[in-house]
Amino acid sequence: MNDIPIIRLGDALISTLPQDLSDADALSFREALTDKIEATGASGILLDISSLEIVDSFFGRVLNEIGASAGLLGARTVVIGMQPAVAMTLVELGLELRGVRTALSAESGMQMLGSAFNGRARPDVR
Amino acid sequence: MEAGADQQSIIDEQRQTIAELETPVIQVWDGVLALPIVGSLDTYRTQTMNEALLEKIVATGSEIVILDITGTPVVDTAVARHLLDTVAAARLLGSEVFIVGLSSRTAMTLVQLGLDLSGVTTRTTMARGLKLAFERLGYEVVQRRNGTALADSALPNA
Repeated sequence: MNDIPIIRLGDALISTLPQDLSDADALSFREALTDKIEATGASGILLDISSLEIVDSFFGRVLNEIGASAGLLGARTVVIGMQPAVAMTLVELGLELRGVRTALSAESGMQMLGSAFNGRARPDVR
Repeated sequence: MEAGADQQSIIDEQRQTIAELETPVIQVWDGVLALPIVGSLDTYRTQTMNEALLEKIVATGSEIVILDITGTPVVDTAVARHLLDTVAAARLLGSEVFIVGLSSRTAMTLVQLGLDLSGVTTRTTMARGLKLAFERLGYEVVQRRNGTALADSALPNA
């Protein structure tokens, strides 16, 4: 499968996870993302998982690890667009994703990241 | 025999009513949902309640949910765990949950059971929960000097 695109927007990295995400895809995405954080010095990650309808404990763990490693690299992770069924599955699995923050929409997700990179993104503005 | 059938239909009817009453998710403000829980919570009920709530959160894009447990007389370990599941699931969607309607007895029970509610915002009444929701959303509630309720109550004296 092709690499999952990671878009850079100011100090944030944005990515939409595809519907059919295999374990291998998830792992290579984790690697690609952390590499990109290191390369760009991004301070915010916006992950759109709205097309994911089914998750397992493996994906939950990978998501947590992404959040934790991004945190170590100085980036805050916000997961957006989670489906209700996915949320219920994760809770039943006991995975509460403490490593990442969540938001209902891309808009509020960016707002959450806003405080993280406003000051650094464009130091010339105010 | 007939009396038995009648009784059965009454039971069915009541069961239907109870099912309808179970999980009303109310939108009390733009971005604020309220969920009054009446009676005790079992696994099945929590599941249907969670489903209804999470669907509604996504449909309305609500950032705050107020769970009112005034009508839940006993909060034991199982009920508390169900409540925490609801809080966790809503949080995963990106919405924050306040639990309101805690009585002093409930609070004491929870502490004695050793349950960790540290990650959950709690308030004693729905009014305080709503006030907190307004604060989070950046609203300010200001009382006007001549509210209509005050004017009406002043009528008999006039």
